[in-house]
Amino acid sequence: MSQSLRPYLNAVRYSLEAALTLRNFSSQEVERHNRPEVEVPNTSAELLLQPMHVSRNENEQVLIESSVNSVRVSIKVKQADEIEQILVHKFTRFLEQRAEAFQILRREPIQDFSISFLITNKHTETLKTDKLIDFIIEFMEEVDKEISEMKLFLNARARFVAEAYLGEFVY
Amino acid sequence: MEDWRRIDIDAFDPEARLRPEDLVPNYGTTITLSELQPKISQLRSLASSGDMSSAIQLATSEPPYSADEQTKHQYFLAVLEALAQTRQTDMAKVVKSLDRAQKDVLVKYIYKGMSLPEGKKQGGILLAWFENLTQDSGVNPIVHYISDRRTV
Amino acid sequence: MDNSVLAKFKLVKGPIYSHCFSADRTILAITCDTKCYIYRMQGANSPPKLHVTLENHDKTVTAVDISIHGRIVTCSQDRNAYVWEPLSDGTYKPTLVLLRINRAATAVSWAPNGYKFAVGSSARIVAVCYYEQENNWWVSKHIKKPIKSTINTLSWHSNGVLLATGGTDGYMRVFSGFIKGLDTKEAVTNSPWGEKFPFGSLIREFYQGSYINDVEWRSNLEKIAYVAQDGSLNVADYQGNVQSVDAPEGLPYRTVVWVDEASILCAGYTRHPVLFTENNGTWGFSKDFNKTSEGIAKSINSLDISADDDETANPTFGISALKKFKELDLKGSVSASVKESAHLNAIVDLKVFNENNGKVSQVSSCGLDGEIVLYNL
Repeated sequence: MSQSLRPYLNAVRYSLEAALTLRNFSSQEVERHNRPEVEVPNTSAELLLQPMHVSRNENEQVLIESSVNSVRVSIKVKQADEIEQILVHKFTRFLEQRAEAFQILRREPIQDFSISFLITNKHTETLKTDKLIDFIIEFMEEVDKEISEMKLFLNARARFVAEAYLGEFVY
Repeated sequence: MEDWRRIDIDAFDPEARLRPEDLVPNYGTTITLSELQPKISQLRSLASSGDMSSAIQLATSEPPYSADEQTKHQYFLAVLEALAQTRQTDMAKVVKSLDRAQKDVLVKYIYKGMSLPEGKKQGGILLAWFENLTQDSGVNPIVHYISDRRTV
Repeated sequence: MDNSVLAKFKLVKGPIYSHCFSADRTILAITCDTKCYIYRMQGANSPPKLHVTLENHDKTVTAVDISIHGRIVTCSQDRNAYVWEPLSDGTYKPTLVLLRINRAATAVSWAPNGYKFAVGSSARIVAVCYYEQENNWWVSKHIKKPIKSTINTLSWHSNGVLLATGGTDGYMRVFSGFIKGLDTKEAVTNSPWGEKFPFGSLIREFYQGSYINDVEWRSNLEKIAYVAQDGSLNVADYQGNVQSVDAPEGLPYRTVVWVDEASILCAGYTRHPVLFTENNGTWGFSKDFNKTSEGIAKSINSLDISADDDETANPTFGISALKKFKELDLKGSVSASVKESAHLNAIVDLKVFNENNGKVSQVSSCGLDGEIVLYNL
């Protein structure tokens, strides 16, 4: 693990550990409903807790928004150039379209972020909290690797295509 | 016929819900920028003289909770400067010298720093502070931070 | 490894939000999803036997309590509460309680004498319910002011009048639950908490700021212990003094019980009970029960090590598929060397299981993992 990545993931891990202390909480607003308070327009201010920003730099950051029964984790993946932007968009979109298989994945990221997770008390009750945190940390580690790998493949392929195409004009 | 079923009757009950401003304790007075200015200059001079331990101690005791956003921001910039000037090797020592309440304030400034563009540039340094803090007192200050309504 | 775990019963698949024993500890009631299960205890060595299932609720049952007479009360997010009267053939007869609340009921507790109980709700109301002979039903009186948010927890003083409540508005409050004709003035003469106790009056309030997760009276000391979401244990007395201790591991506690006059047991998201004791008037951390070394520091270290191993140990195994299977194998299951605590998920409720002369020797706990664990102290 590279030197500057470790404190970043470490901070996310600690923040998540503190945030994932959820409970079953029935809505105060709507009768017989039980909804993730972080996701609904909320008129009861006490149910939302302080948001936590963890940023490595302007391009890589995590926002953890916490409430009484749910936590929203949004990740901004490093996007150095336009190719990476496209790759990140395609990659997260691929995952989001299969969100039901991922349980905690949100179908749409919140503004300014690449991908969002929504963890509710149902998840912390059925899944092990440490493993849940491990998953998110691992995802953050892997996604960078994945994107740079894809970029390399893409470049190699583009080079090959360009050579094959331009080869026509070489005498 | 009137659409009476859609009337939000709870809105007519003034005591029904807690608004964000209800959660913040009543501070009595509000601190203004001019009142805070001496502390900011003291903080700057301590930081520039290299006495980081005293500077951080000063920064994290009695932060201007009651001030308006702009004043808080001015103070925050001074704190961020002090945090950024500290050498990584000294951080553990400085964190050790803080008491429980000061650590709670420190974590507030770290999170605030990482949420603002000024602090994001210093992301590495703030993360180093964060790491030293968690090595010293674990998840405790973060748990306090999450449910503390007093913002810096 | 300490031997504090006396017994461990995996009863249901879902989370158990609340559990309760009858006064003679022969009957165990637990809540799971929309049902309440009644078990007969068969000692520490064999699992409790399922006796009856109480299933009148149609939303999550949030709390259950058994009175000294054996009556069971359950309350649920469907806004209702039922009192279950034991019949001679071992079954229970339900009676609906007229709670008159329009949001979820979240907590329930019988008064020590067993003739009334209090229900906390998300409707910012505490309903104190009692039996009305002439109409043959349970009616309720409301405590409304100045509650601003959901009530999480309730606890009665042994005099049956003072009621401590805690909720998400960050206040621990003491109310009077005095019901005319049911309680006598003698019960509260010379109470240090006040002179007069008209129903619903606010006796004292303590501001904590974060959610109050559990409160518990120690009646003979006139003290209240409460735990909050900011990871603190607090002890309040009638003079308005509060002593606060931080959880050594940081994560908040969900439940608290008094062990004796100078010790309190807490449990919560750290998955094992923690004992706090009072020395020379100061509360402090005393000891962990059933604690495992598994913790955040360790998991971070192991992450580091495994990352290093991959790079250094096997440079020739660059084949990604092989690596992938290796990782799946490693991460899919917990390695045998990691010893897990008795509870695999957060503990949400602690109850006294064995008590002698005001000193608790055994407690029981229920958790989100569907287990009931008995601990020796």
